[in-house]
Amino acid sequence: MSKGYQVALSVVLSLALGGCAGSQQASNAALEAARASFQSVKENSNVLRSAPKDVIRAGESLARADRLSNYWGSEADVEHYAYLSQRYSAIAVQKSELMLNQEREAKLELERQRLQLALREAKMLSLQEQGSMLGDQMISLATTQTDRGLIITLGDVLFDAGHADLKASANRTVLKVVQFLQLNPRRIVRIEGYTDSSGDDAQNLELSRARAQAVADVLTDLGVDSKRISVKGLGESFPVAENASFKGRAQNRRVEIVFSDELGGLGESR
Amino acid sequence: MINRIYPAGMVLLLLAGCANDPVPTEQMRLADQAIEQATAVGAVSTDASMRLALSKQQLAQAALLDEQYKEARVLAEQAELDAREAEARVLASKSSAQLLEINKRINRMRQQLGSQL
Repeated sequence: MSKGYQVALSVVLSLALGGCAGSQQASNAALEAARASFQSVKENSNVLRSAPKDVIRAGESLARADRLSNYWGSEADVEHYAYLSQRYSAIAVQKSELMLNQEREAKLELERQRLQLALREAKMLSLQEQGSMLGDQMISLATTQTDRGLIITLGDVLFDAGHADLKASANRTVLKVVQFLQLNPRRIVRIEGYTDSSGDDAQNLELSRARAQAVADVLTDLGVDSKRISVKGLGESFPVAENASFKGRAQNRRVEIVFSDELGGLGESR
Repeated sequence: MINRIYPAGMVLLLLAGCANDPVPTEQMRLADQAIEQATAVGAVSTDASMRLALSKQQLAQAALLDEQYKEARVLAEQAELDAREAEARVLASKSSAQLLEINKRINRMRQQLGSQL
């Protein structure tokens, strides 16, 4: 055997061993990681409760990886089953997250229903105090029939200047809209916000959208399905009066509720 | 003589090893199905797990064509679980968003009730 050949052989051997040690290290690390994941899901009672099968499979895959790690040359298989085990653990964790969220949501939904009733009652009471009972005036709601459909306009006075929150003086209109939508379950609405032309364009657009959204929020809070409501901010476009006068600007600052026809057909947004 | 038989034996063993790995048709189907299901709930290829699932699915298909059945099975098994993890993650994060939304609503209603009275 020549010296050159010996050197070459030892290089090859050390490379091979080095390679083995490397993959051994990787598979050991994978095994450790899988073991740690499994340990933590196994000890979590919520995970066990929501995804028992995934936890069992995580354990089975881990046991398989463990067994294989005793055999020479099985590093790839060890890594594979360790990977599967980790995946099962991760799936179990996500499932328990989902279950906990659903449990919390069920509780909150009851609270929301309770608040909805209370809110409706409070709004009715405030109307009685204002001496404007819901009744025949219902029909006299300030609606206009236009080529875009039936429209109710909420004027500027129902909002604080520069703010999006609806004032209590809007209660009458809001309750009527809710009642109308409950009597006409197939109708849907588009709520459009507008501003006057003073101030920054982008800010106006944002304010008009925020005010329209505030109206939509109140309607959903009072029990209108949010799927029936769309919201759009149109800023200072489509003025209904001259922006030159104070009065005209006040008229342009408004929220319009556009109703669909009885079958839910709503014209294109402008 | 021994030197010549030994490689031949190795080759035979290797061939036998290949022959022992069946075509992983069922596992490929399971991976496809899991990916389909994850996509249906809204998982997209930019989700980390989903990206893994999709690339392993492709690699598995390539391995299948090369008749590397073991490799195909391993990849398809991983792709299946990657996709399932992606699906569970999407569902959990959707429910978190829903929870946030209902909490926001409840706070808004409480606030309104406060200003109403």
